[in-house]
Amino acid sequence: MAGVGGGNDFQWCFSQVKGAIDEDVAEADIISTVEFNYSGELLATGDKGGRVVIFQREQEVSLPSSSKNRPHSRGEYNVYSTFQSHEPEFDYLKSLEIEEKINKIRWLPQQNAAHSLLSTNDKTIKLWKISERDKRAEGYNLKDEDGRLRDPFRITSLRVPVLMPMDLMVEASPRRIFANAHTYHINSISVNSDHETYLSADDLRINLWHLEITDRSFNIVDIKPANMEELTEVITAAECHPHQCNVFVYSSSKGTIRLCDMRAAALCDRQSKFFEEPEDPSSRSFFSEIISSISDVKFSHSGRYMMTRDYLSVKVWDLNMENRPVETYQVHEYLRSKLCSLYENDCIFDKFECCWNGSDSAIMTGSYNNFFRMFDRNTRRDITLEASRENSKPRAVLKPRKVSTGGKRKKDEISVDSLDFNKKILHTAWHPKENVIAVAATNNLYIFQDKIN
Amino acid sequence: MGQRDIISYETSVRRKSGIRTAAKMCRLDVESAVKGHEQHVNIIPSSRYMVGRGVKRKLSECEDPTLDLPYPQQRQMVLDLCLNKLQSCQRRAEPSLHRSVLLANTLRQIQREMRQEGVLHSLESPPPAPSLPQALAAQRQSPEVAPTPSDRPDTPVATFSPSPLCEDDNAVSGCIGLHKRPWSEDDGKSPDLLLGSFEITNSTSYLTDLQLDDIFEDIDTSMYDPSDFSVLACPSPRVNSGSSLGSDDNLKAFSSSSALQVCLNDLDHIMEILVRS
Repeated sequence: MAGVGGGNDFQWCFSQVKGAIDEDVAEADIISTVEFNYSGELLATGDKGGRVVIFQREQEVSLPSSSKNRPHSRGEYNVYSTFQSHEPEFDYLKSLEIEEKINKIRWLPQQNAAHSLLSTNDKTIKLWKISERDKRAEGYNLKDEDGRLRDPFRITSLRVPVLMPMDLMVEASPRRIFANAHTYHINSISVNSDHETYLSADDLRINLWHLEITDRSFNIVDIKPANMEELTEVITAAECHPHQCNVFVYSSSKGTIRLCDMRAAALCDRQSKFFEEPEDPSSRSFFSEIISSISDVKFSHSGRYMMTRDYLSVKVWDLNMENRPVETYQVHEYLRSKLCSLYENDCIFDKFECCWNGSDSAIMTGSYNNFFRMFDRNTRRDITLEASRENSKPRAVLKPRKVSTGGKRKKDEISVDSLDFNKKILHTAWHPKENVIAVAATNNLYIFQDKIN
Repeated sequence: MGQRDIISYETSVRRKSGIRTAAKMCRLDVESAVKGHEQHVNIIPSSRYMVGRGVKRKLSECEDPTLDLPYPQQRQMVLDLCLNKLQSCQRRAEPSLHRSVLLANTLRQIQREMRQEGVLHSLESPPPAPSLPQALAAQRQSPEVAPTPSDRPDTPVATFSPSPLCEDDNAVSGCIGLHKRPWSEDDGKSPDLLLGSFEITNSTSYLTDLQLDDIFEDIDTSMYDPSDFSVLACPSPRVNSGSSLGSDDNLKAFSSSSALQVCLNDLDHIMEILVRS
């Protein structure tokens, strides 16, 4: 079966799964964000309990007998560091708890031996530095090897401490805390291409920060009306352009995207470009507005396109064309006739994310029943795969799945009514350079990679 | 720990009751098996929404046989769902502004439609809605979320006087009665009032923003007309933000004058009233 993402022989295989197997899932273990770093060597996940777990890829193993000297197996991802990023807080005035759930993680470009990332919950953004320590000094004068202070009168000679190797220790320390700048829930953070600033967006405002300065931020977008009763639209996602540090976009709950240029004005309330697809009157329903709400927006690596995810589809936009997307992919159109049920059980409000592959030739997004979908932009082929324990044999090739919409259900197809709407894949990530993907299914993280022939 | 349990995640409740394999069937949705080439009579709605006898059943031969319920009934159902969700949204530990805005917009859209169709014809003069400044002031003062129309959840679904669109529903006349629902204006306002309560306030700014005068507005101090007393002799009985009524410093300065004992007694009296309220 021709695959998506890498040509005709392409097939996705199971590589690893992380997380507990039990049926009874602790809410704190539910993964809420997944992100590869710039090199793909590190993979970070955040969960509802406020913890961040970073996986590191081990070095690839090459078989000496291999004629082409290709790696025998792609390196596996193993736990590198785990730390508690955010704790629950309590707003005493409103009697509301501020969740510790990590909404987003974004890596900073690596500038020295340490790795840095930004993690955010609803209210506070933190910059974490993850550094390795594999040496320690031994032979102190004033203290013993176990740390006890030596009696100064007993010291008769001086020695120079020597650095000795030790077991690798990975330490994570919070270097900056960017707090108190958001009145509403933060939904996005995005590092700017200048590597000095980043933006954070909540429901009504977007702030621009300098990575070194925590007590000030610039408010660059504010859509809060003077009278809150007139509020009809909120910001749902925002991202900086990958190359132009003055450009960013933000999406709204009404299915529109605004591109802003920070050179135009200090407060970018007037957009430079406004992207909106005219509504198709034939498909209008009570839920049209809700399903048009954009849950994620991502620039392509090239910076020429951007992709938006609404409830039923993924759209690719050319930044030079505002009146309609250049490509539209249906993720699970069979749900269109089920919108009322999905509205009743709140699934219609689920926020799915989407991602590009490294070359921008393919896009991926999640669905229900632990299905996720990939679309090849060149061949226009699409595939549905499942992240499940049943397909979890090492290097097992994933079988494409199909949802039957007609009356007759073919063998191996699953009918819409049998879909498990509790198993939703909201967060996925694609390695920046290779065909390795990470898929978060509730509390489990699945890693898939292409089959090596 | 108790607070944490209240945090609602859509699946957590469902998860506790076992993993559900299918979305609960909504009356507006179609069994996927129906879609197809076989000729099929329309689906019988569940008993909860069973229309009375005599309702026409349509043969679903058209491409999209989702409308087995008449449109106004569909709309009413969505409206009810919307209201319920808005209310439960507010009761959550973590109200979501995004969700509330979407629900409010859906609600407004349905209301606009209904108004345009003249369905609310007989409810044109609704009772006055709670005045906004009072409601907003109430919000500011208490950490409680904005008052939701509490009479709504238990009232029966009111259908409206038959409009030309509801021809088929004459059998539903059992429910026809114009329950005087004052919600038409309220609903326009109540989702909006809810939106005002979303800010994560900073406690220090809260205190400076608040006009202390407002709290004491309703206290009748007409008996204590400040002009009766010498302005210099006695501090004004009205509370000014930042000033301290009957502060020790002020009292000490005047304690010597016997003529001001009366003033001070009155002051104490006023303080008592204020403290009690």
